[in-house]
Amino acid sequence: MNIDYSQELPVVEGRLTLREINDLIARPMDERPNKKYFIALSFTLSLLFIGAISVALTLYYGIGMWGNNQPVGWAFDIVNFVFWVGIGHAGTLISAILFLLRQKWRTGIARFAEAMTIFAVMCAAIFPILHTGRMWVAVVYLLPYPNQHSLWVNFSSPLIWDVFAVSTYFAVSLVFWYVGLIPDFATLRDTTASKIKKVIYSIFSLGWRHSHRNWQHYEKSYMLLAGFATPLVLSVHTIVSFDFAVSILPGWHTTIFPPYFVAGAIFSGFAMVVTVLIFVRKIFDLENIITINHLEKMNKVILATGMMVGYAYAMEFFIAWYSGNPIEQFVFINRAFGPYAWAYWIMVSCNVIFPQFFWIKKIRRSIPIMLMIVIFVNIGMWFERFVITVTSLHRDFLPSSWGYYTPTLVDFGVLIGSFGLFFTLVLLFTKTLPVVSISEVKAVAEGAQPSHNGGDH
Amino acid sequence: MSENFDNKNHENQSDPNYWRSFEELYKDENTLKSKLDEFKDGVTDDFEIDKNLSGLSRRKFLALLGASAALAGAGCSDYRDKGEIIPYNKKSEEIIIGKANYYASTCLSCENACGILIKTREGRPIKVDGNPDHPVSKGKTCAKGQASILDLYDPSRLQTPMLKRGGSFSTSDWKTTDQEILKVLNSDPSKEIAIVTHSIISPTTQKLFDDFKIKYPETQIYSYELFDNFIKNSAWQKCYNQQNFPLIKWNEAEVILSLEGDFLGIEGNKVEQVRLYSEKRDIMKGSNFNRLYVVEGNLTLTGMNADYRLRLKPDAQYDFVMGLLNEIILNKKVSQISLDNNSVSILSTFTLDTISKKYGLSKDVLNSLVSDLIKNKGKSIVYAGRSLSEKVQIAVNLLNETLGNTTLYNNNEALINSNLTDYIGFEKLTANINAGKVKAVIHFDTNPVYHLPAEFKYWDAISKSTVITFATSINETTALSNFVLPINHNFESWGDVKVRTSFYSLVQPVISPLYNTRQKEAVLLTWLSGDSKNFSETIYVDYLKNNWKSTIYPALNSLFDFERYWAGILHDGVAKINEKQQISYNFSQVALTQLDNQSESKAGYTVTLQESYTIGDGRFSNNGWLQELAHPVTKVTWDNYAAISESTAKKLSLKTNDLIEVTYNSNKLKLPILIQPGVADEMIAVDLGYGRTNSPVVANEVGFNANILLSKNSSLSRWILTGASISKVNGTYEIVSTQDHHTFDDTLIQDIHLKRNIIQEGTLSQYNKNPNFIHEKKHDAVNMYKDFEYKGVKWAMSIDLNKCLGCGDCVVACNVENNIPVVGKDQVALGREMNWLRIDRYYSGTPENPKVSIQPMLCQHCDHAPCENVCPVVATTHSDDGLNQMVYNRCVGTRYCSNNCPYKVRRYNFFNFRDHFRGGYQEQASFELVMNPEVTVRSRGVMEKCTFCIQRIMEARQEATKKNTTIKGTDVSTACQEACGTEAIVFGDMNDVESKLSKYRNHQLGYVVLEEINVKPNVTYLAKLRNTFSEEV
Repeated sequence: MNIDYSQELPVVEGRLTLREINDLIARPMDERPNKKYFIALSFTLSLLFIGAISVALTLYYGIGMWGNNQPVGWAFDIVNFVFWVGIGHAGTLISAILFLLRQKWRTGIARFAEAMTIFAVMCAAIFPILHTGRMWVAVVYLLPYPNQHSLWVNFSSPLIWDVFAVSTYFAVSLVFWYVGLIPDFATLRDTTASKIKKVIYSIFSLGWRHSHRNWQHYEKSYMLLAGFATPLVLSVHTIVSFDFAVSILPGWHTTIFPPYFVAGAIFSGFAMVVTVLIFVRKIFDLENIITINHLEKMNKVILATGMMVGYAYAMEFFIAWYSGNPIEQFVFINRAFGPYAWAYWIMVSCNVIFPQFFWIKKIRRSIPIMLMIVIFVNIGMWFERFVITVTSLHRDFLPSSWGYYTPTLVDFGVLIGSFGLFFTLVLLFTKTLPVVSISEVKAVAEGAQPSHNGGDH
Repeated sequence: MSENFDNKNHENQSDPNYWRSFEELYKDENTLKSKLDEFKDGVTDDFEIDKNLSGLSRRKFLALLGASAALAGAGCSDYRDKGEIIPYNKKSEEIIIGKANYYASTCLSCENACGILIKTREGRPIKVDGNPDHPVSKGKTCAKGQASILDLYDPSRLQTPMLKRGGSFSTSDWKTTDQEILKVLNSDPSKEIAIVTHSIISPTTQKLFDDFKIKYPETQIYSYELFDNFIKNSAWQKCYNQQNFPLIKWNEAEVILSLEGDFLGIEGNKVEQVRLYSEKRDIMKGSNFNRLYVVEGNLTLTGMNADYRLRLKPDAQYDFVMGLLNEIILNKKVSQISLDNNSVSILSTFTLDTISKKYGLSKDVLNSLVSDLIKNKGKSIVYAGRSLSEKVQIAVNLLNETLGNTTLYNNNEALINSNLTDYIGFEKLTANINAGKVKAVIHFDTNPVYHLPAEFKYWDAISKSTVITFATSINETTALSNFVLPINHNFESWGDVKVRTSFYSLVQPVISPLYNTRQKEAVLLTWLSGDSKNFSETIYVDYLKNNWKSTIYPALNSLFDFERYWAGILHDGVAKINEKQQISYNFSQVALTQLDNQSESKAGYTVTLQESYTIGDGRFSNNGWLQELAHPVTKVTWDNYAAISESTAKKLSLKTNDLIEVTYNSNKLKLPILIQPGVADEMIAVDLGYGRTNSPVVANEVGFNANILLSKNSSLSRWILTGASISKVNGTYEIVSTQDHHTFDDTLIQDIHLKRNIIQEGTLSQYNKNPNFIHEKKHDAVNMYKDFEYKGVKWAMSIDLNKCLGCGDCVVACNVENNIPVVGKDQVALGREMNWLRIDRYYSGTPENPKVSIQPMLCQHCDHAPCENVCPVVATTHSDDGLNQMVYNRCVGTRYCSNNCPYKVRRYNFFNFRDHFRGGYQEQASFELVMNPEVTVRSRGVMEKCTFCIQRIMEARQEATKKNTTIKGTDVSTACQEACGTEAIVFGDMNDVESKLSKYRNHQLGYVVLEEINVKPNVTYLAKLRNTFSEEV
């Protein structure tokens, strides 16, 4: 295919009319869910149920149900937390940063990515609470509430920064998402035939009338919120990385962590978005709105961030050698060749080697291969966090207290449950809200924005 | 609304526009007045109790009603049931609530009988330490003594007498059992009554047995220990014609050669031996160290502390000693005594050369050993382990005699030989029982079914007699008994002990019996009296006092009357007597006829059976604290195993955890192996005391019963079995340790403790040349903040690695003091043991000749504690006296502090371990009594760690405040420090420059672990100096 890169590619393919866009996006909400949907939902609910049992066991018996030990105080709990927070980052990046950069191609995927952000942060938020030994007091003590004991949280602890970072992130993402939804709620309100739906949509559309004033305010607030959310893309995972970087543990105590974590988060987030979108565009016939070009662009981002992550891996080794600190050097040699070498090499091959295939355009645009690679990236990024958390802890300063961490069934149960929660929420989302922003897609549809220099691409 | 309450002003008011009623409009007096009172009359009356209550206002009434309902609701609710708290009706004279009382007594955990001081709170014993007035223990006691407190409160103790009827046990009462037993005892006097006991170390118990024999002349006493000095004593008797074995002045020995003798670990009175030994390892008294050579098969605690260690199969020891004799007497011509020709010719068949070649012993070490022994004639000691054969013992006696080392025998004091019964005696007993010649077998708190060799088929025999077993809890013998009589624990008993000439030690109860138990001596006395009714609580103490009054007291010529004298010795726990006759030892040449030119070694594998460092002969196997105390060398908990050398394991293609089958004289035992550095080839070493089959819940299924390898036919000794065979069998069995085993050949982790300067050590000559040798490389650490200024006391600890032997006594002391739960094998396997204090053990060198380094590791109470700034809820903070503190109530359990602790000394309650272990075994009511009331019992999900015994600091501070002084560093000693037999742990105030602690802290050998990360620990270590010839470690 010969593409003229001086011209932008059409964002929406197939020359859809505005009405057709409306109908296409709103269709899942108007139809009754079919059998396949219920099969999918029962599957994700089963996963969620496994998670619920595992959490109940943890609550009843204690953290001992997991494989955590001395010296590995953190394992799946924190790995899962960082993994899910990372997944969230793609959404904010797509909706906020790409919005500010006027990347029109984002419109087809922004809504979905944002929703995934919110669900991922919800999954992530379980773990900081769950990983504490006394959750029932942790939910109170971790907040700076006024009390007569003059007890205060420790503002020098990165875990407290985490509490603020994650809750801010969740709040801003939710508001940003909701504001974007308002015009769509109004559209749905106007088109729906069901009275109940009409009431609900009316409430959530906050009296939107598609007026110029409405649009003016909307555009302004959306841009402001995008401005708000943009630093969060960088700050949240920076602070999550501080959980490790602020400690004195070799393998954690590294200045490269903030950029490395942010790159990793975007890497894993895009991989997850691609994974889910591949299915969504097929199931809901959105191939014209979420086009192969979208996917290709995201694959390019994956390739770029994957290289950054790979650079970070290499740089960690270099700095360990360059620092001349033998304990630091040991940690990295031990990572690659010690008892957890298997995890390390899974990480390297999934995150650095497999994404290299995206240099090839055919692969970037091939759904099956792409799917395979992004799933590898998801696995690889989960292992990255595992490698950072567990391999640094299991052999630290004193050889006398070295140990080995083996996860238990409950560990896996909680991990499975978090996927169950995520996909349950995703499934519910696809049936209750427009998975693509109707108003934004209309705005970038062919001929929506006529201009003097042709504009008909 | 502003309203004027003045009537007159109101009248003057000029706002007639607002009116609410006609009365108001027309300014009715009453209305206007009532308007001023917000409430009507009778509504707001004050509550006056003198007045008639019926005049109570409605408002007040409702208020009172509400208040009383609230009070009744809140005040009388069952908010955290505190149980019954009853004040003393009559206050006890001795007990002050919140203040501990201490009572002197004697530990009966083993036959060494150390003097102990029992700390009681509100009438319940909570801690055991050595009695400082006791001439042997001098304020120290071992791990078993420390942990014995748990046995007192063990909920699985036998609580009432039991009878076997028709194959099953039923609970009974003392009256019934006494009557039925008396019937048996009084039957056919031609039949024997056999009493099977452990060493009789109590003179009054001996008298009781004598009295019993007078009433029942058919009585025979049999006594045994699983590990005893039988061979040593008999060799001694042959050489010196002396019953009593002398004590060794370890503190005067310049050179010690220990052959298969674990005198620092398990043999003899360890508490005394380590103290005397470490006197010569005190860097503060100068660098005149003794030099310890150890020649042994298995790597023991003594071996790992040796300056030079040679590994040698125990059956080659005879060749070795004879070779040494040959070298010293014939080659080096050193002799205090002249040998006959026969002995000389025997000696000449052994040469050190051939032995060193045959067993690969280092020539250099042997040369230095020989020259050291000769150079230090009269100032060295050669010690043969109790398990070695009589031949070796005699040869060693000869060697000491040759070198003039008899000067190191203590001539004033001697161990009393407790004249145990040998296997021949027990064989006779079994035969007698089988022949129906024994009407009753009384097991006097012994467990022979478990302890005696399988060949005797003792379990089979006793079914032919009436079996009466005294026991604290069920065991293999109680299961086969007709009567099971529950006895008092040591701490509920009276008694006296004499294990050495020159003093007695007393046993007194510190708590009344928890259950329906009786002291075993009291039961015998009751039987002697012929009627169960004659039992009284004081029956034995009266007997004891009478015995003292009539036999011991008169000889003492005391100035006090007996009652005062008795009160005095009870208070002291010790009664010194004048028995200091000079004992002289004259070597009898006749003994040398026992020596021959036959080597003891045999083809096949050698098995050594060893006493467990923790659970003794098995009597402590139900004690969780001891089961979980790591083996000092291998760090294995909750199991025994066959320790095997790497090359032998390779030969048999075995890995750690593989199962093997050991066959000796048709006795077979399956057990897992552990590849242990330093073990001689072609041998295995197995601990006894494990594999209990009928025991309470803690000990069941723990380890393997190696007692079944015991044999009356074993040629060398009971504990050294030669010519055994070993074969690999299918399957594995996981043995768990508190420290990972790392392979020796992994270059990545080899000697990492030395590379990281965790262990810093050198040699004595290195130190003499340059005392500052460990500080040659300096770290220039930069602080970002100004350090906190510690005014007043700042607590710190120093641990002298020259004195620390790694025994683990301090670990148990810490467990007892700080209410540390037992977690069980499964949790140790996961690395979740809760010990606040652990002993790290590192190997360097080769698997054949490992150098072992020991380091007790506990919270370092860093000034720049990395745990503190990462805790999100400020649950771990720093005090202004330098302590790193844990606030359990605030802790939410993120475990970040533990992750960030470079020493990994924090311990996390992954479960409610008390509930988790053995189905809530530790949550039973009696366990509440063992808790130290000054230390919080931690809940699930909370982090914990060493507190430097803050409860003791607080107590000392209160004392100081009471006396209107300030607390001093010397006012406090930690539990580990108190327990340490070698005084390796020093605690105190580092701001007091004159203190002992400061001297240790500022010593040139002092170092902190991981200095380069600049966390500024308050625990310093004194580097270990090895007393070797060369400067190389």
